[in-house]
Amino acid sequence: MELINIFLKSAFIENLALSYFLGMCSFLAVSKSVKTASGLGLAVIFVLGITIPINWLIDHYLLSENGLFGMDLTFLRFILFIAVIASMVQLVEMVVEKVSPALYSALGIFLPLITVNCAILGGSLFMISKELNFSESLVFGLGGGFGWFLAIVAIAAIREKIRYSNVPAPLRGLGIAFIITGFMGMAFMALMGIDPAALVGK
Amino acid sequence: MADSKTNAKLDLKPVFFGKKEKKLLLDPLNDNNPITVQVLGICSALAVTTLTTKALTMAVAVTLVVGFSNLITSLLRKLIPSEVRMIAQLIIIATLVTVVSLTLQAVNYPMYKELSVFIGLIITNCIVMGRLEAFAMANDPWRSFLDGIGNGLGYGVILLIIAALRELLGKGAIFGFKLFGPGPDFLVDTQAISMLHWYTPNNLMVLFPSAMFVLAVIIWLHRTWNSKLVDVS
Amino acid sequence: MQKYRYTVLFVLILSATSALILAGMYTGLKDIHEKNAQLFKKRVILKAISPLLDKPVSSLSDDDVEKIFQEKIQQVVLDMEGNPVDAARVAAAGYKKGDALSVDMAKEFKKPEAERLLPLYVYKKRDKKYYITGVMGRGLWDLIWGYIALEEDKNTIAGVAFEHAGETPGLGAEIKDNPSFGQQFVGKKIHDAQGKYHSITVRKGGAKDPDFEVDAISGATLTSNGVTEMLQRSMKYYDPYFQKVK
Repeated sequence: MELINIFLKSAFIENLALSYFLGMCSFLAVSKSVKTASGLGLAVIFVLGITIPINWLIDHYLLSENGLFGMDLTFLRFILFIAVIASMVQLVEMVVEKVSPALYSALGIFLPLITVNCAILGGSLFMISKELNFSESLVFGLGGGFGWFLAIVAIAAIREKIRYSNVPAPLRGLGIAFIITGFMGMAFMALMGIDPAALVGK
Repeated sequence: MADSKTNAKLDLKPVFFGKKEKKLLLDPLNDNNPITVQVLGICSALAVTTLTTKALTMAVAVTLVVGFSNLITSLLRKLIPSEVRMIAQLIIIATLVTVVSLTLQAVNYPMYKELSVFIGLIITNCIVMGRLEAFAMANDPWRSFLDGIGNGLGYGVILLIIAALRELLGKGAIFGFKLFGPGPDFLVDTQAISMLHWYTPNNLMVLFPSAMFVLAVIIWLHRTWNSKLVDVS
Repeated sequence: MQKYRYTVLFVLILSATSALILAGMYTGLKDIHEKNAQLFKKRVILKAISPLLDKPVSSLSDDDVEKIFQEKIQQVVLDMEGNPVDAARVAAAGYKKGDALSVDMAKEFKKPEAERLLPLYVYKKRDKKYYITGVMGRGLWDLIWGYIALEEDKNTIAGVAFEHAGETPGLGAEIKDNPSFGQQFVGKKIHDAQGKYHSITVRKGGAKDPDFEVDAISGATLTSNGVTEMLQRSMKYYDPYFQKVK
């Protein structure tokens, strides 16, 4: 029950893209068509779902005071987290290439981009500040990734349509994308008051 | 091609701060602004712009990180093996960001608390990574440093404009000094400048989405004024 | 093979150097960090009694803050039955210094209710005692906490200071950012005329009862409800102690 609660919360209410505005660089750069956007979104679900639990393990068994070294090594958090993310992205890239060349050609170009997607590192840092346990952090990663996927597919769909509209020239492209994102963020703010525990309870 | 030729020429006759260097420093402020033109580093630009003091701290932090990571990467550029380029760059950036975070924690603890995760997120600020890849890996240390500082400043200027607008309209204050609207920490005697009471601070400006709108308006104005940047696609 | 060895060596040296630099910096700055964190906490506590201080908390120097804590504030740690706990037992709970300041309210909040330790700060001014209690609860996104100062009668609120970990700027965060929210609490009462525990309610749509209610922040219903819940529950923890010292 608690886990479903966390999934719903991280996917909709605390949406990484539209409530925290994380991962905006790729959110705006890769949202010109639904197809590429969903490719990137899937890759983000994948990487978030892997890196957050791994970073949880690292934080608890290597860096914390009662970990392997018995010292408070939290100042190495940034370096290790980003190293894990970079190597996981690389690993995922290699595995996907071997296992499913079709998926690789669909995701291929976006995978390296994910390393510098702040939603990934942000997810790990939020996992620390929320003090989740292992299974919660796994669900938090998957839920957060799913929410980000939804958001980027939604904005890509809107941007595909808006291409036929008469937008003032200086606002075309980037400017209007910002305004759309702002409105989507406002819409997501309406979800803020929902208590998923109450919904699940019903 | 032409670029590398002029570079070589300049290397023969070292110019410490010539036209080219000036361009490196000033270009990111307008034609090649990291936020409004290259669309990099948006995430933090939105989260820290509720207050001008926060935005200023962030701007300084990012400028230092971009400048010094460019400098260090450029110094090491001939040593870094290409297969681990990305990891090496990330280690350099993450180290610098941790240094900045530890320093801020010692110098201004309340600000460190305010910025929370966003100091750490400088690591994934695409400006830093982008400059390392696009510039520092191929240029000499001094120019890379200037390029980094220039991009940091270009980022900082936009950040401060957004923050000033949001704080002024959303809280009726700037750098924490109350200018408009009622409030117990009103700067001057309320009665004396009651004319400023016509404006009631608009809470929407403090909320996240407003940063998007402010940024869109800035892009709109910037592109109206500098029409070569208009998106034709 | 040669190349491969170089690559590994390069990464190792680079990471070792940066780890060394950071470790040096971290150990060098550790004392300052700890002192800053303590000062930060002390300032928040003083905010709760800011109407009683000569200067606003923001214009007090670090030395002033330390001086007030040394000369005018007595730190007490209580257990849930309202008995003062000695430093050795506090230290056994994981707080080496053994004083109220070292008690981590977030950590206590996670323990079962009966085992919690409560920090209490007694501020003395001209023979009058003021009791600063610590409260902790949940807001919309994350933890919220605060310090509530009670007057000599242990009933009337003298001042409050709220903090939060991640409420929305402009909405829930106003509990900390908007001084007029905190000012509403001054003069409100914890017990009714019969001495029964009542606490304060943050009411959406405007306070109705002048003694026990304050206005909520518009647009931040859940944070406001969180404040109500936090006050209802946490202020009651101190009741057994206040009954005893009466």
